[in-house]
Amino acid sequence: MVTIADYRGKVKPDWCPGCGNFAQLSAISGALTDLKMDPKDTVVVSGIGCSSNMPEFINTYGFHGIHGRSLPVASAIKWANPKLNVICYGGDGDGFFEGTQHFFHTAKRNVDITYIVSDNQIFGLTTGQASPTSELGMKTKTTPDGNIEKPMNPLTLALTAGATFVARAFSGDAIHLKEVIKKGIEHRGFSFIDVFSPCVTYNKINTYDFFRKRVYKPEMDTKNFAKAYEMALQWGDKIPIGIFYDVQEESYEDRSPIIGSKSLIDQPLVQLKPEDLAEFL
Amino acid sequence: MKTDEVVVRVGGAAGDGVQSAGLIIAKVFSRSGLHVNTYNYYQSIIRGGQSWYQVRASDRPVRSQGDGLNILLALNRDALERHTNPMINEGGASPLGKTGVAIFDSSITDYKKEDVQYVSMPLGDIASRHGKNALMKNTVAIGATMAAIGMNFDTLADVIRDQFGNKGEVAEENVRAAREGYDYYLANFKKLGIALKTSNKKFYLISGGEAAGLGAVNGGLKMYVGYPMTPASSIIHFLASHEEQFGIFVKIPEDEISAINMAVGANYAGVRAMTGSSGGGFSLMVEALGMAGMMEVPLVVYEAQRAGPSTGLPTKNEQGDLNLVLGASQGDFQRIVLAPRNVEEAFYFAREALNLAEKYQTPVILMSDLYIAEHYETVEKFDLNFKIERGKLAQPGIKDYKRYEYTPDGISLRALPGTPGLMHNEDSDEHNEYGDVVSDAITDPALRAKSMEKRMRKLSAYIKSMPPTPTYRYEDAEYAIVQWGGTQGAVEEAVDALREKGIRAGVVEINRPYPLNPDIGKLLSGKKKIIVVEGNYSGQMNKLLRSEFLVKTELITKYDGENFYPGALAEEIEAVIKR
Ligand SMILES: Cc1ncc(C[n+]2csc(CCOP(=O)(O)OP(=O)(O)O)c2C)c(N)n1
Ligand code: SF4
Ligand SMILES: [Mg+2]
Repeated sequence: MVTIADYRGKVKPDWCPGCGNFAQLSAISGALTDLKMDPKDTVVVSGIGCSSNMPEFINTYGFHGIHGRSLPVASAIKWANPKLNVICYGGDGDGFFEGTQHFFHTAKRNVDITYIVSDNQIFGLTTGQASPTSELGMKTKTTPDGNIEKPMNPLTLALTAGATFVARAFSGDAIHLKEVIKKGIEHRGFSFIDVFSPCVTYNKINTYDFFRKRVYKPEMDTKNFAKAYEMALQWGDKIPIGIFYDVQEESYEDRSPIIGSKSLIDQPLVQLKPEDLAEFL
Repeated sequence: MKTDEVVVRVGGAAGDGVQSAGLIIAKVFSRSGLHVNTYNYYQSIIRGGQSWYQVRASDRPVRSQGDGLNILLALNRDALERHTNPMINEGGASPLGKTGVAIFDSSITDYKKEDVQYVSMPLGDIASRHGKNALMKNTVAIGATMAAIGMNFDTLADVIRDQFGNKGEVAEENVRAAREGYDYYLANFKKLGIALKTSNKKFYLISGGEAAGLGAVNGGLKMYVGYPMTPASSIIHFLASHEEQFGIFVKIPEDEISAINMAVGANYAGVRAMTGSSGGGFSLMVEALGMAGMMEVPLVVYEAQRAGPSTGLPTKNEQGDLNLVLGASQGDFQRIVLAPRNVEEAFYFAREALNLAEKYQTPVILMSDLYIAEHYETVEKFDLNFKIERGKLAQPGIKDYKRYEYTPDGISLRALPGTPGLMHNEDSDEHNEYGDVVSDAITDPALRAKSMEKRMRKLSAYIKSMPPTPTYRYEDAEYAIVQWGGTQGAVEEAVDALREKGIRAGVVEINRPYPLNPDIGKLLSGKKKIIVVEGNYSGQMNKLLRSEFLVKTELITKYDGENFYPGALAEEIEAVIKR
C-alpha cells in the first residue's frame, strides 16, 4: 500500500520557514497517496522559481526544466506516455509571465494534465520583483514607487482559453487544498489550480492573514461557464476559493487519431518497406 | 553545347503553375531512367513576381542545377524576355543561347526575333480545344518540350495521369492536350540535337525535406513538433501527410519555444521526437537546446538554413547559420552537428541523428538548407535496413540508482518515467550524480567540475567512430577545395571542369561540422592552397577550420541568395589558384 512517506523525497525543501509551498508539497503528496497512485507513475514537471524546485523534494519522476516552459514539456510527456500522471507545477512569474502563451494554449488544447501554480504574487527566487499578479501599487524591488500595472486574473484567462477544470485554493487551508488537487488530478482534461501561496519573505501584503480574512468557499455551479466567470471576477474583501468550473469534454489525447488509440511509447516502430517509397517513383 | 544532358527552364509568375509544370517534366525524365536535378527560383508571394523552375537531366549523374539552358518554356512575356537576355541577372543562371529553343504562346508577339530559336505555338488555342482549365496550356507546352528533346510520349502520358490522380476525364483531357502539343511541335519545328540515353533504372525523385522525413521514420521517429518556417516546412508537410501511415504524431504548437520543449518532453519520456525550423525559429529554441544538453535528454533538431539575417530572404538559399548552430545556448555542453551534402545523405543522416541523440544523450542538430530541403533530385536506392540503438536505458532493480553517474565514457543509464523504483529528478540546474541540485547553495566546487567533465567527455566515443571525411578526386590533388552542406554538387562539377584544364584540384567535403573529424587536419596538410567555398558572407566554416586546424586558407563566398554555378565557380577557383 502506498503511504505518504513513499512520496517523501530524500532532499529536504530549502524554502523559507513558513513559505506557502510547504503546504502544497504536502497536499500533492497527500492527494497522490489518497488516490493510491504509485510514485513511479507520476511525473512532476516544473520551470524555475522557488516553487519550481518542487520536483527535487517529492519522490516521483521529476523534470525541473527552464523558466516558463514546463507546460510544453509536460504535454509531450503525456502524449508520449498517456499512462503517466503528469503534474505541472510552478510560480506566477513562471506561468503567467514567461510562459503565458503555453498556459493559454495548453488550456485551449485541453491536454490531460494538472497545472498547479504557486501564486505568491511576487518573484520569490530572484528576491522580490513584481509579478503579473502583484497588486496595483505594490512596492517591490522593481517597482519602488509602487506597481503601476493592474494584476492579471489567471482564472478568467484559463476559462477564456478553454480550460475544463478551473479552481483556486489557499496554502493556509491544507485540507481544502488537498481535496481540490485530488479533484484536479482525477479530472480528465486540463485542470488548472491557482494557489494563494504567501511568500513570507518578499510579499508583506498578501500574507496568510490577508487571505484568512478574505477567502470563503461559496457553493459554485461548476457546470455553468458564465457563473464561473462571474465568480472568478470577484475580488476585494471577499475572495472565493474552490472549484469554479469542472466540465467533461474530449481531451486533446482523445481527439488525436495517433495518440488516442495507443500510447506512442507502446506502439511498435514502423518498418519502412520499399512500397512506402513508391510515391516517389 | 553538351548533347548528353538537357536543361529545361519553366518561367512565369507565381500562380502560373511554374512549379507543377517543372515537376511533371522532372518526373518524365526520372521515369525514363535519367538522373535529374531541379532548381526552384521563387519568391515569398502567392501571385505575381517572376519565378522559374529548372530541370536538368542526363544519363550520367547531375549534381547541381548546372550551367546552360536548352529549352525555355515561357509562361508569360516577362519570362521570355528575362531568360533570353544575355544580361540576365538571376544569381548566375545562364540565358538561353543561340542553340536553345524558347516555347511560348503565340499571343506573345512583341519580341526581338533574333539570337534564339523561337517556337511560337498556339498553346492556349490547343488547350481550349481539350478542356476549360486555363493552366492546361502548360500541358500543351510540356508536350512540345518533350517532342523537342525526343522523349517518349507514353512516359509523359503516364506522369500526367498520375499527376491528376488518375482522375478520369481531367487526366485524359490533359493527356490529349499534351499529345497535340507534342505532335504540333514535331510537325512544325526541328528537334534539338540532344541524345539522352534513357534506361530502365528506377529512380526516386525526392526533395531533401522529404528524404529527411523518410529517414527519420526509418530511424524510429514517433513525434515531430514544429512551427512552419520556410524551408523547414517540406519535412513537416511530408510527415503530416503520412501521420497515420507511419504512426507519427505531428504537432504545430504555439511557437518554436514550445516545439523544442515538447520534443524534449517526449524524448525524456522515451519516445523519439524531433523538432525543426529555419534560423529564425531555431533562434527561439536556443535556451531549451542547452537544457537538453544539461539534463542529458536526447534531442534532434532539424535546422534548415535560408538567407538571413532576421527574416532575410525567406525563399533563398544560404549557409549562414553555422555559427548560430555551433554557439547556440549558454555555457559549454556537447552537441553533434550533421550537415548532409545532398538529398540522399539527408535520409541517412536523419536516422543516424536519432540514434546518436539517444546513444550520447545530448542534442543533435541536423542541418539542411533551402536548396537541399526543397529541390528534387533523383536517388537510385535507399537502404532501409537500419538498427535502432537506444543507448543506455536503465532496467528496474538497480540499487542506489544514479541518473548521472560519473562513468568513464560520460554516459549514464537513463531511467524512463514509469520505471519501477528508479524515481529521480532531472534538472537544468547543476546537479550531482543522483540529479540532486547542487546549484542554489553550492558548497562543493569540485563536484561541479566533475559534473561538467562528465558531460564534456561523452563524445569521445563518437569522435573515434566517425567515418573518414569524404573527399572527391582528392588522391592526387594539389589544391584542396573545402565545401560543406548543399554546395557539394556545384563544387564537384567545378572541380571536374578544373581537372579538364589540367588543374589538380580535389574536394574535402565536411558533412559533420561538429565535432570535426581530426582527419581533416591531415587531409589539408601539404596542399599548395586550401580554398574554402561557402554560401555566406563571412566564411563561417573557414574560420572554424582555421581555428581548429591552424591552417592558412583562401575563401570564396556567395551571399546573393542563389546557389553556386559550377562554371562560374571554376573560374573563381582558378583565379584564386593563380593569385
Ligand atoms: C529565461 C529566464 N529568465 C529569468 C530567469 C530568472 N528567474 C528565475 S526564477 C524567476 C521568477 C520567479 O518567480 P515565480 O515564477 O513567481 O516563482 P517563485 O520564486 O515566486 O516561486 C526569474 C525571473 C531565469 N531563470 N530564466
Ligand atoms: S522567498 Fe518566498 S517563495 Fe521563496 S521560499 Fe522564501 S517564502 Fe517561499
Ligand atoms: Mg511567484
